[in-house]
Amino acid sequence: MNIIVSILSLTFFAQVLRLFTPYFLGANAANFSERAGVINIAIEGFMITSALGYALFTYLTNNIFLGFVCAILVNLLFSLLYALFVIKLKINQIVAGVGFNLLMAGLAKFLIVFIFQSSSNTPRIPDLPNIPYIQDIPYVGEVLSDYIILFSFALIFISNFVLFKTKFGLRLRSAGENPEAGESLGIKIRLYKLYGVLICGFLSALGGIWLASNQNSFSDGMVAGRGYIALAAMIIGKWKPVNILFACIMFAFFEALEITFQISGTFIPSQIIQMLPYLITILVLIGFIGKTKPPASDGIPY
Amino acid sequence: MNAIEFKYITKRFGDLTANYNVSFAVRKNSVHCLIGENGAGKSTLMKILFGIYKPDSGIIKINNVEKSFDSPLDAIKSNIGMLHQHFMLIEDFTILENVILGSEVTIKYKIDFEWSEKTLNNFNDKYNLGLNLEQKISEISISEQQKVEILKLLYRNSEILIFDEPTAVLSPVEVKEFYKIIEKFKDEGKTIILITHKLHEVKEIADRVTVLRRGEVVYETEKENLDINILSRKIVGDVILKNDISKETVMINQEDSVIKLSNITLRKNGHDILNKLNLSLHNGEIYGVCGVEGNGQSELVDLIFGLEKKFSGYLEKNTNKISLVPDDRLKKGMIKEFTIGENLILKDKNKLNITKKYLTGLTDEVINNFDVRVPENSVIMKLLSGGNQQKVIFAREIELNNDVLIFSHPTRGVDINATAFIHSKIIEQRNAGKAVLLISSDLDELLSLSDKFGVIYKGTLVKEFSSELENIQNETMKNKLLEKIGKLMIGISVE
Ligand SMILES: Nc1ncnc2c1ncn2[C@@H]1O[C@H](COP(=O)(O)OP(=O)(O)OP(=O)(O)O)[C@@H](O)[C@H]1O
Ligand SMILES: [Mg+2]
Repeated sequence: MNIIVSILSLTFFAQVLRLFTPYFLGANAANFSERAGVINIAIEGFMITSALGYALFTYLTNNIFLGFVCAILVNLLFSLLYALFVIKLKINQIVAGVGFNLLMAGLAKFLIVFIFQSSSNTPRIPDLPNIPYIQDIPYVGEVLSDYIILFSFALIFISNFVLFKTKFGLRLRSAGENPEAGESLGIKIRLYKLYGVLICGFLSALGGIWLASNQNSFSDGMVAGRGYIALAAMIIGKWKPVNILFACIMFAFFEALEITFQISGTFIPSQIIQMLPYLITILVLIGFIGKTKPPASDGIPY
Repeated sequence: MNAIEFKYITKRFGDLTANYNVSFAVRKNSVHCLIGENGAGKSTLMKILFGIYKPDSGIIKINNVEKSFDSPLDAIKSNIGMLHQHFMLIEDFTILENVILGSEVTIKYKIDFEWSEKTLNNFNDKYNLGLNLEQKISEISISEQQKVEILKLLYRNSEILIFDEPTAVLSPVEVKEFYKIIEKFKDEGKTIILITHKLHEVKEIADRVTVLRRGEVVYETEKENLDINILSRKIVGDVILKNDISKETVMINQEDSVIKLSNITLRKNGHDILNKLNLSLHNGEIYGVCGVEGNGQSELVDLIFGLEKKFSGYLEKNTNKISLVPDDRLKKGMIKEFTIGENLILKDKNKLNITKKYLTGLTDEVINNFDVRVPENSVIMKLLSGGNQQKVIFAREIELNNDVLIFSHPTRGVDINATAFIHSKIIEQRNAGKAVLLISSDLDELLSLSDKFGVIYKGTLVKEFSSELENIQNETMKNKLLEKIGKLMIGISVE
């Protein structure tokens, strides 16, 4: 009974939104890259670097805005490096992705020990500002006045519009589908692949920044596999922004459910409840989604 | 005035010289045919003109101005458009998206879909293309895909149009339509370069012809002096192969079919693709099927081969040893990135230990026996010329030594000598007692090879001929038969 009440509550709704945001940003990030034909499984790593970047630079400069900008720059730099490896040097994208993930996680661990002499986290940093007035609404004010959450709402429309209604999107997608055909029409395929990777870096940075801001620090392991869930959401969403939205809501909903269960305590063992989001994913994959088809030239160097 | 001038163009790929000292001019507002054997360097030369390859030496002049193209973008800017031998289309895009890609018209940031649709539909009507712009490429037939490529040229308002073997994939009716479009282009003052292996088409359409042989220009002639016999000798360098194997009598028992289809119906998306179709294949017999593309031919092949299982009716197969030369060689016949040798052993289930030496030996054998022209033994399939790819696939399927052989457009994009060679191989298989199903849009090929012959229309074999085929040496009989077939193909019934 209790549980049903808490699920229907606004707090639960706010919780779902909070969980949804990093997934959706990560999934859209990955989608822009893959639509341009570049697999980027290092979303996890990119979220880590930007979360740390935000915490670190906010702490050092004592300025949230500078921290924000620096975190994004950090990710764009790493994206350029990734692009250099996979687009220019044509290194296998899975190998490069795994490499980046390991590198970024290790680097973050090293830096917090090196700079803060702490084994696990940075000192406390302030929140990103919220929109005034809206934040005073009870229960949901906090999430609805969050710029990044609001941006991720807008992203549903932005992604769809950019990918399917603009010249830029059409060309980007041609790079992911059949680069030879695009090239024969005079499109600079590699440039569009680079754009895809950079947009990916930017969006995943927002995800990382949001996590750090929400937790008021960076701590080791805080991204906790969200980058991988984001990839799963992209695949379940069949590389389409609207479907990705539903996939992310699904993940967020079941995770919120899991948290609610754990807080209120039930007879069901917690391990089983923790399995819930993943179990559901597998069931949904088998039952409803059917075959998912990536862009035809996804992951193939050009 | 000359629209294009090639001067001393040479292009090498490693040890292979694809073009050597090529010089010729294309008059403005004319149809210029470029012909030659498989691997003669035709496509390579056109890719140079279109900025895909850079020549090792030599220059190109467009409208008397020297140009050097670094990419297709430069060529497009000089109003050159190219229809590639292997289409450059994006399967998952709609026709509209494919056409506007790279030359989009936008309002602010948004693509002006309304305007694009209107513009394209205007062309669609004017040239009778009959395309539905919302359809995806994966949903349309090969001949429609070609029309999409033509629409791309129209949309870009190209003045110089390059067509690399445009008619290879078309049925006779569609070929006629295609040449009507070409005539229209000429009327509008455009310049056209056309590559084809079909000499009677050359005779009909060309204002000037250039023959390439082993990368060099060996002959050039104007419309007035055009003679098909001379052309074919120039193409192959005097030795014209004839299909010198004749059909031997093979005793066939009409009761014993190897493969028998009775009352087969196949529904897809609410349409009967095959409709109560009856067909039986016998040992030592070539069964020819003709029809306009998209009347169920490819589904028929898939069904016999075992790729299509959701049909009603009765299919009796007395063997599972079936060879197939598919219609779309690039997608269904080979793995582009594999070498010739690797493609040759793809279907060999028994060979476990594959050594490099074995592959090289196999490749050499096929290269020699089937006269495949290659830059080097270990080349990947993608880099072979179109006709040479076809020869490799054909060789593989023959060497499998199967009981049934299905040939779907076996001589598509293949030059005259190789065509004769392939024809003689097909007859050889028949004489050896194999059952052959031959699907082709080339009526001459069908009539000269088939023992039995059926016309397919809307998924049904509407009429079968057999004894009529014995008299086709007689011109009037043949023409009568052709006329009948032509009618049947478009759904007009004959007695
Ligand atoms: N990129 C490449 N690398 C290596 N060799 C190549 C490449 N492109 C073409 N060739 C070789 O150059 C030769 C000429 O090929 P090309 O495609 O121009 O022939 P073609 O005249 O168009 O023949 P077809 O009538 O069969 O299409 C062939 O032997 C081919 O294998
Ligand atoms: Mg060619």
